[in-house]
Amino acid sequence: MKRFPWEWLIAIIAGFALGLFYAWVLSPVRYTDTIPNTLRADFKDQFRIAIAASYASTHDLGRAKARLALLGDSDSSQALTAQSQRMLAAGESIEVVQQVAQLAANLQGGVMQIQPSVTAATTTSQIIVSPTVAVIGAATDASTVPVESPTTQSTPAIIFTPTPRPTHTPIPTPGAPYVLVAQDNICNPNLTDGLMQITVVDKHNRQIPGVEIIITWSSGEEHIFTGLKPDIANGYADYIMQAGVSYTVRVGESGTPAPNLIAPSCTDSGGQTFTGGLHLSFQQP
Amino acid sequence: MPRWLPPFIAIIIGIALGLIYGWVISPVQFVDTTPNSLRADYRADYVLMIAETYHANQDAGLAARRLAIFGGDAPAAIAAQALQTGRASGYAPNDISLLQELTRAMQAYQPVPTIVGGTP
Repeated sequence: MKRFPWEWLIAIIAGFALGLFYAWVLSPVRYTDTIPNTLRADFKDQFRIAIAASYASTHDLGRAKARLALLGDSDSSQALTAQSQRMLAAGESIEVVQQVAQLAANLQGGVMQIQPSVTAATTTSQIIVSPTVAVIGAATDASTVPVESPTTQSTPAIIFTPTPRPTHTPIPTPGAPYVLVAQDNICNPNLTDGLMQITVVDKHNRQIPGVEIIITWSSGEEHIFTGLKPDIANGYADYIMQAGVSYTVRVGESGTPAPNLIAPSCTDSGGQTFTGGLHLSFQQP
Repeated sequence: MPRWLPPFIAIIIGIALGLIYGWVISPVQFVDTTPNSLRADYRADYVLMIAETYHANQDAGLAARRLAIFGGDAPAAIAAQALQTGRASGYAPNDISLLQELTRAMQAYQPVPTIVGGTP
């Protein structure tokens, strides 16, 4: 009976180990020309901030969309909204948060508001979008990613001209005052006593995250922000009122104050009284 | 056949299998890359975003901080490199002028030194 060729097996295993050492350590696959969707999450956040800031300056939604697509998010709007909420929670600059939130809102709306009087900057820039395969290892999905590239690409290529870039168009401006458009007493014993629910929308009725709400009363002041409870709504915020205290609510620094807001007294089906809540709706005119 | 040949052939086969596994089947994965490794045109596009923002707010400090995402290079060098890439790639004249504006601003930019330590 012929014996098992152990020396062959050991030699192959040793060779395999040597090959693996060379491939993984000495000369691993190098990705020096990477694409944005391989970036680490925090760098992607930085990219979104840059895209939103650029959009706030140029109002070129087509270009912003093309850039966001490079990051490979399944839903760019959702990614921006989530980021704006993380930034709010981290106490980052409100101006930057608003730029991110604004881009998210405009993506949801699908259209950009441009004032007719605005003059468009002349630009002949063309963004060439063409499919390029980027292999991120065999284990990951080697997908076809639309690549925005200023370089000449081989066909097939989809060529589109970005919308003319307006200069200094005020987007739904932080300075445009929000006004109280609806106020309802809420007598629901299942809700927290004294719950003040606030919804903030822009003039197109889109919920706006990242908006500061200033609540004042005779002996104090509280600042809250919309968008921290996205499971309810992007433009939602709430606050617990004390019974018998009169509050004034203002949305944004320049918002029109809504005074004399008091938690209503309610009665449940059993005749018990409890402190009800308020629902306030603010909108940019 | 010499005695050393079979083990040698086995090692070569093993190395080949190891390389196939390491380079093809399960290569080192770069999923958390840094902006520094981005292709030149993506880097240039990021710099163009900063240039567009700088054009509107003229905040050189903010632009320099955002360019610092690329690591150790000076902001002026990063902007100049993007300008070069933009020219080579046929960017629109408006985009080129934005990159030029940013490059000039970064060349003139002097970061405000941070004073460390307590008051005298």
